[in-house]
Amino acid sequence: MNRPVTVRVQKVKKNRIRTRLFFFLFLAVILVLVSFFADQIVPYDPYAQDLGLSRQPPSPAHFMGTDQYGRDVFSRVVVGAKASVFSTLVLVCVTSVFGTVTGTLCGYFGREIDSVVMRISDVCLAFPGLVFALAIAALLGGGMSNAVIALAVISWPKYARVARGQTLALKNSDFVAAAKLAGDNSAQMILRHILPNILGPILVTAMLDIGTMMMELAGLSFLGLGAQPPVAEWGNMMSGGRSMLQTYPWLVLSPGVAIFLTVVTFNLLGDTVRDYMDPKNSGS
Amino acid sequence: MKKILAVLLVLCIAAGILSGCGGGANTPAASGKKKIFVFGDTTFNAENEEPDINPHNAYSGWPCIRYGVGETLMKIADDGTLKPWLAKSVTNVNETTWEIVIKDAVRFSNGKKCDAAAVKACLEHLVKVHERAAGNLKIASMKADGQKLTIVTSEPNPILMNYLSEGYGCIIDMETGIPKNGCVVGTGPFVATEVVTDNHVKLVKNTNYWDGNVKIDEVTVRTISNGDTLAMALQSGEINGAYGMAYASYPLFENNKFKFSSIQTSRCFWGMMNFHKENPGYRIMSDPAVRKAIAMGINKKGFVDVLLKGYGYTAAGAFPDSFAFGKGINTVSYDPGQAKKILQEAGWVDTDGDGIREKDGTRLAIRWLTYPSRQELPLLAESAQATLKDIGIEVQINNTKNHNSIRKDPQAWDVWVSANVNAGLGDPQNFFDTYCLDSSIKNSGGHHSDNLEKLAVQLRGAFDPGERAKIAVKMQQELLDDNSYFFCSFLRMSMIMQANVTGLTAHTCDFYELTADLDIK
Amino acid sequence: MKHYAVRRLLQLIPILFAITFLSYGMMRLAGSDVVEQKMENTGGTVSQEMIDAAREELGLDKPFIVQYVTWLGKLAQGDMGVSYVSGKPVFSTFVSKLPATLLLAVVSILLTVIVSIPLGIWSAVNQNKAADYVIRTASFIGNSLPNFFVSLLLMYFFAIRLNWFPVISRDVSLQSVALPSVTLAIAMSAKYLRQVRATVLDELSKDYVLGAKARGVKFSTTMMKSVMKASLVTIITLLTLSIGSLLGGTAIVESIFMWDGVGKMAVDAINMRDYPIIQAYVMWMAVIYVLVNLVTDVSYRYLDPRIRLGGTEQ
Repeated sequence: MNRPVTVRVQKVKKNRIRTRLFFFLFLAVILVLVSFFADQIVPYDPYAQDLGLSRQPPSPAHFMGTDQYGRDVFSRVVVGAKASVFSTLVLVCVTSVFGTVTGTLCGYFGREIDSVVMRISDVCLAFPGLVFALAIAALLGGGMSNAVIALAVISWPKYARVARGQTLALKNSDFVAAAKLAGDNSAQMILRHILPNILGPILVTAMLDIGTMMMELAGLSFLGLGAQPPVAEWGNMMSGGRSMLQTYPWLVLSPGVAIFLTVVTFNLLGDTVRDYMDPKNSGS
Repeated sequence: MKKILAVLLVLCIAAGILSGCGGGANTPAASGKKKIFVFGDTTFNAENEEPDINPHNAYSGWPCIRYGVGETLMKIADDGTLKPWLAKSVTNVNETTWEIVIKDAVRFSNGKKCDAAAVKACLEHLVKVHERAAGNLKIASMKADGQKLTIVTSEPNPILMNYLSEGYGCIIDMETGIPKNGCVVGTGPFVATEVVTDNHVKLVKNTNYWDGNVKIDEVTVRTISNGDTLAMALQSGEINGAYGMAYASYPLFENNKFKFSSIQTSRCFWGMMNFHKENPGYRIMSDPAVRKAIAMGINKKGFVDVLLKGYGYTAAGAFPDSFAFGKGINTVSYDPGQAKKILQEAGWVDTDGDGIREKDGTRLAIRWLTYPSRQELPLLAESAQATLKDIGIEVQINNTKNHNSIRKDPQAWDVWVSANVNAGLGDPQNFFDTYCLDSSIKNSGGHHSDNLEKLAVQLRGAFDPGERAKIAVKMQQELLDDNSYFFCSFLRMSMIMQANVTGLTAHTCDFYELTADLDIK
Repeated sequence: MKHYAVRRLLQLIPILFAITFLSYGMMRLAGSDVVEQKMENTGGTVSQEMIDAAREELGLDKPFIVQYVTWLGKLAQGDMGVSYVSGKPVFSTFVSKLPATLLLAVVSILLTVIVSIPLGIWSAVNQNKAADYVIRTASFIGNSLPNFFVSLLLMYFFAIRLNWFPVISRDVSLQSVALPSVTLAIAMSAKYLRQVRATVLDELSKDYVLGAKARGVKFSTTMMKSVMKASLVTIITLLTLSIGSLLGGTAIVESIFMWDGVGKMAVDAINMRDYPIIQAYVMWMAVIYVLVNLVTDVSYRYLDPRIRLGGTEQ
C-alpha cells in the first residue's frame, strides 16, 4: 500500500520479513540435509523386503506403516527426498546458471549470438512445457535423469529471458557507461557490474520455480516416465500405491503429504525471498 | 461491495448447478427399460496384443470370444475337455482327416446362416493371415458340403479341435470380412458396434442369436488400465463387473453389495531366459549355475500368499497339477542359502563389497523384462528383485507396455517374464509349440534342446491322452533340468461384480465372459 | 492494431517451420528404424526384402532434408501416417480426440476465471482481514498440491464418498468433465488468485482511487470499472503463460480420469512407443500453443493501450 510510511514502520516490516526468511531458510536447509544424508538417517533399509510384515498400518516401529513388500514406508519417504528434493535442486541450479549465463551474454553482446540464442529459446518456448517433456521422455525412455533433462530443456529459456532483459536495461545505465569509461573490459564488466545486479530477479525466479519443478518431476514419475521401481521417489511411490488409497491409505498419503509439505516450504521460501528483494520493502 | 457479493452468489449458484447435474446419475443399469451392462477390463489393450476384436489379428480373438462376439466350433469345459458348440459333432476319420458337422440353427448376427462353406471361408482367411494359427492348425485342405466340413491336415494333429477352440478360432462372416471399423460379424450373443483401441468396445444384443434369448440390451467394455480407477468405478456403480481388479482392492468388495466369481486357472506367471549369443548378457545367462540360482532365488510362496493375497497357487512346471500332464514334476524350491553356495562354487563372488557378485570382471546383473497390464507381473518382478539381490544377483526391471517388441530384440533383455494361460485349450502342446521349440513364434530367448525337439515330434503324433501327458511331463522336466525356464505360480482368477449381476462366470480357460446368460436383476 | 497482428502472423512462419522440423527430427532420432518399429509392433516376422521395400515406399532411403520436405507435403494434406498400434490414420485419430481435450481446457479456464477474479478482488478489498487470510491460505495449498494427488483425492471424495460425479468419463459431457476440470482449475486458480489480488491492491493504492474516495465517490463504483479491467489484463497475461502447462497438465489428468482426449492418447502412445502419434501430439500441441499465444498477445494490446505505446517485448 502506498500509505505514507515512516522509516520506523518500514524497518519493523523489513525485520519481520528477515525473520520469516531465516525461518523458511532453516526449514529448507533441513530438507536439503535430509535429502543429502537420507541413507544414513533412515531407521530401516528402504529396499529390504519382508513379506511377513506386508501392509502394516502405522505403528511405533513403523511410523508410516509398511508397503505390500513389507518395506518401511517412512524410510522410503526419507530416501525419496533424495530423488525428489536433490534432483529438483540440481535441475533448478543447472537451468538457472545456464540460462543466466546465456541470457547475460546475449544481452551484453547482442548481434548474432543474441538472435541465434533467442530463436532457439523461442522454439523451446513454442512447445508447451510438459508436452515437450513428455516427448523427450518418450525419446530417451524412462529414468530420473532423463526426466530431469526433459524438464531442463524446457526451463532454461525462462532464465535466459530474465537475464537478457535485465542486462539490456543495465547496459544503458549511467554506472555501466562510467565503468566503461574507466576502462573495464567485457569480462570485468559482466562479472563486476552486470551479474551482481541481476542476481536478485534470477534468484526469485529460481526460488519460485523449485516447487513447480518438483511437482512436474513427480508428475513424470507418476506417469511412469521418471524414476523406475524399486527406486523410492514420491511420485513413483504414489503411483504404485494408488490402488491402495482406500484399503491401505498410508501408502499414498505418506509420499503425498511429503511432496505437499516440501513444495509448501520451498514456495513460502520463494515468496519470502521475493518480498525481501522487493525494493518497496527495503528499509535502507 | 454488493456487486462482489452478487458475483460470489452467481459463483455459488454455478457451482450448485454443476454439482446438481452430477447428482445420482451413476447407475448405468437403471437407465430406462434397456438393460445396459458396463464391464471394466484391464487387459483389453494393444499391450496384450489385443488392439481390437478381429480374431484374425494377433490375440484379438481373445476379446472376441470373451465378450461374446465370436464363438468357436468347440467349447472348452472347466475340466479341460471339449464340448460341442457351433459344431454338432466331430469325427476323427483318420490321423489327418476330421469331419465336422455344424449345427443347423447357427446364424451369424446379420441373420446369415452359418454353414460349412462359411466356416471354410473363415478358416481359409485365418490361416492365410495369422502365422501362429497356421502353424498350430496345419490345415492342408478343406471341403464344405452343406453343414459338413471336412478338414485334412498336412500331418497328424491330435489337438486340431483344441486349437480351433482358441480365440482365433472364432467363426466370423467373411462376406462382411474385416470391416474398416473393426466390427467383425460373429455368431455370438453380442454384436459389436464400435471398437476404439485401448479405450472401449460397444456391443448390442444379437437379436438373431441362435442359442437362446440374450437378456442384456447393450454392453460397453471399457479398457481401464489403472487398478484404482477400476476399483472406484465398480464401487460407484459406473461399471457392473470388473476383470483384473488389484488384489489390494479386494477388501472393498468383500461385502454383500458385490459378488466374486473365482476359479483356479492355468494362467501361469513364468519366465524364459535369453540364450542368444549376441546378447551382452550371454556370459551370465549361459551359466547353468546362474540359472539354477535364479530359479532357487524366487520366493514363489511369498508371492502367492502375500502379494496375491492367496489368490493363486505355486507352480512346479508349466501346468497345474490338476491336469494329468502337470503331475510328478521335479524342480528346485526357494532356498537362498543353497543358491548362494551354487554361485560361490561356480566362481561368482562379490569382490568389491557392493553386495552383487562378479566373475572375471562380469557383474552378475540381469535385465528382467515384463509388462504392467497383468498387475501380478510388476509385483513378481519387484519381489524377485529383492530376493535375488539377497543372493548377490542384481535385477534391472524393465516393466513396459512395449515388451512385445523389446523381447524380439535378442540384445535387449535377459529374462522375459509373462503371464499366459498355458493349458487353456485343455492340452499341453500349445505351450511348447508357442514358446519352447525351434519353430515357436514366441521362443524369443532362442532356447534349443535336441531332446525337447524329439519329444515334441512324439507329442504331435500321439493321440492317446495318457501318452500325451507322459510326454508333456518329460518335456517340462527337460525345461526345468537346465533351468532355462522357470514357473512361479498359477492364478486364481476372479471377476468382481455388483450383487445384482448374474451369469458372469469365470472359466479356467479365461474365455466366455459375456454370454447370453448375463443378466442384471 | 491490424499492422501489429499482421507482423505477429509473419513472425509465426519461421516458428512453425522450426516446430515441424523439430517434431520430425526428434522422432527420426527415436532409436530404431521406423519400418522395423512398425513391423515389430504389428507382430510376426518379416524378411529383409519386405523391410527394404517398405523403406523405399516410405522414402527412408533418401537424404534427411528430402524426407522432411516430403513429410511436410503430406502434412499439408493432413497425412501424418498411421499409428503403429491401431493401424488407423494418425491425423484423424488426433482430430477425433482433440475436442475432448479442448472442452476440458476451456471448462478449466472458465472455472479458473469464475473463481479467481471474485476471490482475488474480495481478498484484496479485505486485505489482512480474516477472509483474506483464509483465501490466501487456500490458494497457497492449491498451489502446492501436485495435480495427480488432487485428482486422487477428488475422485475419492466426490465420486466414491458422495457419488456426485463419475470416476471414469463415459462420454464427453458436463458431468464427466467436472472432476478433471476442477483438478486443473484448482492449481490455476490458486496461482491467478494471488496475481489478481496483487493487481487489485496495486490499483487501489493509485492516486485516482484514493482521490475518488476522498471525494466521497462510492467505493464499489470506482473499483468495478478500473479494477476489473486491470485484473482482466492480468488474467489474460497469466493465461498466456500457463496455457502451456495446462495443455501438458491435461496429459496426467486425462490418464487418471480415463478422459478420451489427446493427452491420454499421448501417454498411451509413449508407453507403446507409438512414434507417429507422439509426433502428431507434440507438433499440434505446439502449433495450438503458438496460436493461442498470438491471439492473447493481440487481444492484450487491444485491452491495455499502455502496452500498445510501450512496445514491450513478448
